[in-house]
Amino acid sequence: MADRIEGVKKLFTSKSARVETNKGDAYYEKLFEKCQARIEELKTQQPINNRLDITDVLEMQGIERRDFLKWASAVTGMLMLPASFTPLVADAALLMNRAPVIWLELSDCAGNSEALLRSDGPKIDEIVLDIISLEFHETLQAAAGHQAEKQLEDAMETFKDKYLLFVEGAVPLGMNGQFGTIGASGETMHDHLLRVAKHAAAVVAVGSCATFGGVPAAAPNPTGAVGVMDVIQGKPLINIPACPANPANMVGVILHYILTGQVPELDSLLRPKFAFGYRIHDNCERRAHFDAGEYVEEWGDEGAKNNFCLYKVGCKGPMTFNNCSIVRYNEGVNWPVGVGRGCIGCSEPDFWDKYAYERPMADAKIKAPTGGVEKTVDEFGLGLLTAAGIGIGIHAVASAVAGKKEDGGEA
Amino acid sequence: MITKTILEQIEGEASLYFDMKGNIVDFVTIAFPHFRGMEKMLEGKNAMDALVITPRVCGICGHSHLLASVRAIEDAYKNSDSVVEITNKAAKVREITLVLEIIQNHLKWIYLVLVPHLRELSESEELLNTPLKGAYGASFATKILAIFAGQWPHSSYMVPGGITSDFTYVDLTKAKSHLQKLTEYFEAETLGASVEEFLSFESCKDFAPLESDFAKIEQLLIDLEMHKKGHAKDTFLSIGIHEFSHAAKVKGTKLFKVASKYVETQDAYAPDEKSYAKNALYKNQFYETGPLARCMAKEFKLIKNMHRRFKDSAYTRVMARIYETAYLLGFCKKLLDEINISEASCRETIPLKNISGTGEGVVEAPRGPLIHRVQIKEGIIKSYEIITPTQYNIASATKENPSPAQQAMLHCSQADAKFIFRTFDVCSVCTTH
Repeated sequence: MADRIEGVKKLFTSKSARVETNKGDAYYEKLFEKCQARIEELKTQQPINNRLDITDVLEMQGIERRDFLKWASAVTGMLMLPASFTPLVADAALLMNRAPVIWLELSDCAGNSEALLRSDGPKIDEIVLDIISLEFHETLQAAAGHQAEKQLEDAMETFKDKYLLFVEGAVPLGMNGQFGTIGASGETMHDHLLRVAKHAAAVVAVGSCATFGGVPAAAPNPTGAVGVMDVIQGKPLINIPACPANPANMVGVILHYILTGQVPELDSLLRPKFAFGYRIHDNCERRAHFDAGEYVEEWGDEGAKNNFCLYKVGCKGPMTFNNCSIVRYNEGVNWPVGVGRGCIGCSEPDFWDKYAYERPMADAKIKAPTGGVEKTVDEFGLGLLTAAGIGIGIHAVASAVAGKKEDGGEA
Repeated sequence: MITKTILEQIEGEASLYFDMKGNIVDFVTIAFPHFRGMEKMLEGKNAMDALVITPRVCGICGHSHLLASVRAIEDAYKNSDSVVEITNKAAKVREITLVLEIIQNHLKWIYLVLVPHLRELSESEELLNTPLKGAYGASFATKILAIFAGQWPHSSYMVPGGITSDFTYVDLTKAKSHLQKLTEYFEAETLGASVEEFLSFESCKDFAPLESDFAKIEQLLIDLEMHKKGHAKDTFLSIGIHEFSHAAKVKGTKLFKVASKYVETQDAYAPDEKSYAKNALYKNQFYETGPLARCMAKEFKLIKNMHRRFKDSAYTRVMARIYETAYLLGFCKKLLDEINISEASCRETIPLKNISGTGEGVVEAPRGPLIHRVQIKEGIIKSYEIITPTQYNIASATKENPSPAQQAMLHCSQADAKFIFRTFDVCSVCTTH
């Protein structure tokens, strides 16, 4: 038991998610030349389908070049590239209209499209999205029915082997796929996906449903839903999980592709390390309260009023990898922990069943995500935390305000 | 001869089966070919999990689902003799975030659905296609929402007993300033008049001096004779209890009492394709829900005036949604001003495992009444039922007793019918949860 407690202690207090970002000068010099050559080549190509030129749009929106470069430098940092790459990233953004994107919606709630459309910023991201050559998106285009199908066929033909395919929503395989059919032909979502993915340069699964099956796959999985990675083989595949996925990460992936022509470095769950190389717990604004053993014991108690750590009310930050605590949501305004609500672990596989949000982890049979970011987090089973609340405040300086105070009244 | 058409851009898609007589629509049935089975997933899970799972029914009105869930659980507490009283502050914030979700939905609908399809139908270049205008305005609204709720879409910041967020005066000031900006943006870009002035209008004649997107939309609707088309049942339903709405059943212009217990569902009638949707009825009858229903129940002068002249035409329905946006912007300001920050955000409740019983939560979502019904045994969900607003409006029934949308699409061209279908602001993913 002592060893176990020691093990848990190590796990919860270690800086588990340290991605080594620096790959050395020689590497970056080579990469820089490669990116430069690629961008020069893209510049010689014509924009697709008369998409707008970003410089005009920026002007129209009253965004100055300086603001644009500020944004480019922030994105360069996010992509874990040295600052010297900023001009290249800016160039890549200007060339967004050279990268055809096809976006499919399968068994979903459209939440990622919604997030992408308008819930994140800086505003410039949205403008960039207007520039991305979104050749096909069922929700965002005017065409419908047969017309839409024709548009999809045309896009697939014109940009054969060149387009990025974004997929939102799970793939329902139950009842031979009859739980989800698409378009006038009544094609199943599964067949539809295989057909469109066949000639994609790379496939990007966006949101928890497309990556790991998400909510449709929650027990008892009524529709036999699976993620894209379970049905697509032999293609470069990038997973951007979370519910919804953070648009900053979607734009980051597209930019990375334009810049390098490659998929970014991925972890064992195929998630880009630039976004999922962080553990929520390590960058949490309430981490100090965890370390001090100060917890919210029940909704509305003294601890809650004082913004204490949410671990005891089910926060899954310690076993969740994502950059929410850094990038935040809705133009950097906030994130769930910021409003006193624990992380629900939505970027990890099977979180609906294993990570249910208010269950003490001791009872949750959690097998931690094998983040692949660093091996120490692989394969730890929290089932070993038998006594409820053990592992909490392991090295607490003092078991501070534990929920109900005798003299509790309104603070 | 029955022809099938697929309509996208409705948060998913629907299949419409048109039965034509010449060039005129004789009848339409509607099928939703998707299914996820959300209610099944909830069975056997901890009731608190509903607060995380149900918002994922829909990426555009997830917040309404969250409020319906939390109300259903609080109702179950009450029915187990453990009344949960939330503070005024918690009630106001819940209301604010709901109102903001409705606002962002309407803004998006105006610029991403209404404007492009109006342009297409009228073949007019008068109105510019500016989808980013809608996206920009809506992102303002969701930014304010995130201050209180953490993120949008898909937040879970409400819990039985109140809300989890303990915001500061700084947050409140930020929220007020963003709302001010959003209101000014809507006034400048959409209305061409101040919200206050716009809300004081009593008849369509008052629009004459306006030169704005709104004025162009209004003119195009008249040009297309949408004030003479798209009439539904002339019966309306608003059930959720809120400060901004009035719960009532409306027949023509007469208001009656309403009780959610009379809402029931039946399988949709879709002879040509398997549809996973269910129809929602009130005392076995179809009613229209959403902004027009709420405006009729609130008896707003301008909308009543339109109704007197054009009844529940497509024109009146569109106008009601824009009017409601303006009204809710003003209402949101009032709510923000009334928050007393020193009150508690959340009151402690007895543990959920002591709760056994049924509960119901009713909310006015962007498209109308959203109902969650839950059965809990010792804190675990035994059964869960979700009835969404689109199930009333876009129900698919037989020719003898058509649903509001089916009725509205009769006796016009197919192009008109498709546009009229969209005036209901259809949500496919909610319908096929």
